Amino acid sequence: MTSGHGPVTAAEGLVPVAEGLGAVAEGPGPGAEGPGPGTEGAVAGFGGRAYRGDGPYDPESTLRLRVLPARGRPEPAPGYTFDEITRADWALGPVPDTGWSAAPGARRTWVSRALLACLLLVQAMLSLRLHNTAFEDEALYVYAGHAMIDHLFHGTPDYGGFGTYFSGSPVLYPVLAAWVDSVGGLTAVRLMSLGFMLAATGLLYSFTRMLFNERTALCAAGIFAVSQSTLFLGNFATYDALAILLLALSAWILVRVVRVIRVVQGVQGVQGAKVTRGIRLARGHWALPLAAAPVAALAVGVKYASALYLPTVTILLVLAAHRRLGGRQALRLGAVFTGGVVVLLGIGLATTDYLQAIRSTTTDRAHGTTSVPAMAWDCFRWGGLLFALACLGTVLYTRRERLGEVPGRRAPAGPGTRWRLVLGAVLTGTALLAPAYQIHLQTSVSLHKHIGYGLLFAAPMAGVGLTRLVGAHFRFPQAAIAVGVLALTLGMSQSAQNYGIWPSTTYLMPELAKNVRPGQKWLGQPHEAPVYYLSREGLTDYTLWTSIYYIDYTGRQGRHLMGAEGYRAAIDDGWFDGVVLDWSDQPGDVQALIRGEMRTSGRYRLAGALSYRTSVGTGHFEIWLRVPAAHGR
Amino acid sequence: MSGVGRRAALGWALAAAATSAAGCTPSRTAPIGAGGQGPSVRTAPYVPFDVTWMIRPAHGRKYLGAALPGVRVTPGVLDAWAGKAGKAPNLLSYRLSWGDGFPAGETLAVWRRRMLPYLVWDPWKPTLRAIAEGRADAYVRRTALTVRDLNVPLAVSFAQEMNGDWYPWGVRKTAPEEFVGAWRRVHDLFQDTGVSNVIWVWSPTVAGPAASARLRSYYPGDAYVDWLGLVGYYTGTGPHTFDTLFAPVIRKARAFTRNPVLVAGTAAASGARKPAEIRDLLRAVTTRRDVVGFVWSDLDKETDWRIDSSPEALAAFRRGVADPHFGFDVRHP
Repeated sequence: MTSGHGPVTAAEGLVPVAEGLGAVAEGPGPGAEGPGPGTEGAVAGFGGRAYRGDGPYDPESTLRLRVLPARGRPEPAPGYTFDEITRADWALGPVPDTGWSAAPGARRTWVSRALLACLLLVQAMLSLRLHNTAFEDEALYVYAGHAMIDHLFHGTPDYGGFGTYFSGSPVLYPVLAAWVDSVGGLTAVRLMSLGFMLAATGLLYSFTRMLFNERTALCAAGIFAVSQSTLFLGNFATYDALAILLLALSAWILVRVVRVIRVVQGVQGVQGAKVTRGIRLARGHWALPLAAAPVAALAVGVKYASALYLPTVTILLVLAAHRRLGGRQALRLGAVFTGGVVVLLGIGLATTDYLQAIRSTTTDRAHGTTSVPAMAWDCFRWGGLLFALACLGTVLYTRRERLGEVPGRRAPAGPGTRWRLVLGAVLTGTALLAPAYQIHLQTSVSLHKHIGYGLLFAAPMAGVGLTRLVGAHFRFPQAAIAVGVLALTLGMSQSAQNYGIWPSTTYLMPELAKNVRPGQKWLGQPHEAPVYYLSREGLTDYTLWTSIYYIDYTGRQGRHLMGAEGYRAAIDDGWFDGVVLDWSDQPGDVQALIRGEMRTSGRYRLAGALSYRTSVGTGHFEIWLRVPAAHGR
Repeated sequence: MSGVGRRAALGWALAAAATSAAGCTPSRTAPIGAGGQGPSVRTAPYVPFDVTWMIRPAHGRKYLGAALPGVRVTPGVLDAWAGKAGKAPNLLSYRLSWGDGFPAGETLAVWRRRMLPYLVWDPWKPTLRAIAEGRADAYVRRTALTVRDLNVPLAVSFAQEMNGDWYPWGVRKTAPEEFVGAWRRVHDLFQDTGVSNVIWVWSPTVAGPAASARLRSYYPGDAYVDWLGLVGYYTGTGPHTFDTLFAPVIRKARAFTRNPVLVAGTAAASGARKPAEIRDLLRAVTTRRDVVGFVWSDLDKETDWRIDSSPEALAAFRRGVADPHFGFDVRHP
């Protein structure tokens, strides 16, 4: 560029190159146009300052190119001399202070969206890279959905009692998943989850852009898109992807609503001789947050644990409104949203019998035995990077509001320090909710998924942190590269490990299909995947399978036997036609009991042991068949 | 957008799509969970050989077994015996001393010659008590892994003739509880390792007064045993018919199990009665539904037990095993 400007550069020597590049890259500054009027524009584009060859460093500039001063009187090169053409009607237009604008522009929007599309493509690719057969929860929800469809639309009795132990309503996601499954199988259901997670990333980008700016939003979307929970849930057919999407949609609607509310300035009151002016909303605009209430309530219906994140969503609304509408209106809008959600959830609870399931799966969940250090380490591995970036973003954003590098620009009404601190603390702190609750319960079940809910909210602050790490004018791109590579590597490896943690049933199902006959009674762990896969072939249905978690067996004396007694009696009586066991290095007590009973009773023989390897160990599936009558005692 | 711009955009889009497709395609070395098998090579079979149909072959088919001296799978030895018998055996018995490495190559060669490998596992050292207490677990696990990874059917007879008094694991030196404990230990370790391609043969002897006296106390249980592998020989001085040699022990065993019977080791001493004894044996094996076959110990030891010890004996054997029930293809149910 400097040589392109010929005489100007040669004569003036030292040029603040970074800002000049910015001028070329960012906007229609005249510096991009070449000789002629553009030459002058380029000079003006450097902040409108005349060059001082030996003066002090300008604090606004970021990079200086040192050129040795010319000795003697500079002679213009013959080839660069030209006569300036002047016209009588020609006039120099208004020259902006900077070569680019902090205000939104179409070009910036489309460039950002193109980068977002690239991020979404990477997210989709990394999610689709994961391969495994149906996890027990996936299989359970899909076949429960088929059962619920039969129950709701065809009057078939519901034998499953899914509403008593599911962690979300069995008539919402499972029904949707079953419908999609009947169209395209498990692959389609997982693709639906991918769509949900891509949409969640898109919404995260959008509301982060509204809260901060495009660069922060892209950083937030990028760091969220490659986290292990996002990649995992993008290929996992459970409630979680839909719940995260609905939470993201709630947050987006609320942040968006604050921007569209029309404000009317008016007299608020008279205090003595002083007239105070306040903000009034346009008629009916107080109710706009109610648009998000059904979405938030639906998120809770889809997955009860989503309620944990509604306070964050509400505070986000209050903070966003506070910045523009003041504290009173912000609290009013927050109260409206909260009231709407509470009313909807109250109606939901009053018309269903899910309270027991909510208690058993969410609020009064059974305590586990996983050690606290182990769980803390898992949390650190899976969300530590994003959380650390969010903490950094919170601290730096609290210290300084400015997010752009427009020289000399000061936001006329930027948020205050307390507002920035509260926003950062709330969003970042949300990442700790699920880990803290599960560490309290000492149960690591699904922690790798649940951690993703909080990361959605912490991601905007992580975006701020990453933006600040990179610095103005991309001063430290190596920081973004290092963090990006680390995030990508961790996300890819951890998502693959978590996706390979359950054994593939690729070879188990054909073996079972050889042995399972319609009407046969089976005992199984796992039983969800066999029920899902084999019921598609018409070989069985969920009513014919008993899990290792619950049995109510009516023995020969007519007594109802449950638990260990029930399993022993049923096996001694040869009640099951076959048994499937997952025998890993650390089998559970019930598996050991069932296996021991089959050995001592002599009613069953091991027909096949199918070895498997998972990402964390080895084991084998065992298929036990009841011995024929000639073999029996 | 100009033509060049459109072409560039199309090129980038195609490159992105191709990269995406390549990234989503699993490779063998990809991590488990990303469609691959990880960096280490898998040795275990994906689907184990199903031996359940071999325990009780359909349509009354019978095993024609042989125990031959020396290197059993040497083509000349087997072919010579098959030539003499008029039919190739479909079960071959051989021995493994406790502590020795599992003969994987020989087992595979036996199976490839369409014979069910039948392994007589002799626990010379350590004692059955030590095995029951788990002091040989590492060796058992190692053997089990080899058997699992080999993935061919295998009949295993552990501590054969435990109710006799001529082996260290016999009645003189070992209590029934020790035998049962050792048997269950070995069996359970095999199952814990994921072995399901073994047919477990509980193999008492029918000889001697103590043979049937305490038979039940040596029985590990139906969940641990697939075949009743009786060992008994037509000797010069003992019983001369199946009904007097094997049937009493079978009757005793029927009090606690209904598992099929394999005559796991038999032969007739050379002499004038040998052809008749061979005819009696083959008739009983053919006609009894609960007997799935027999193993002929074709040895010249103490006396000449071989099928061709005399032309009459050989003719009786050839005529007997010519029955189509004998010598079915063990590779197909």
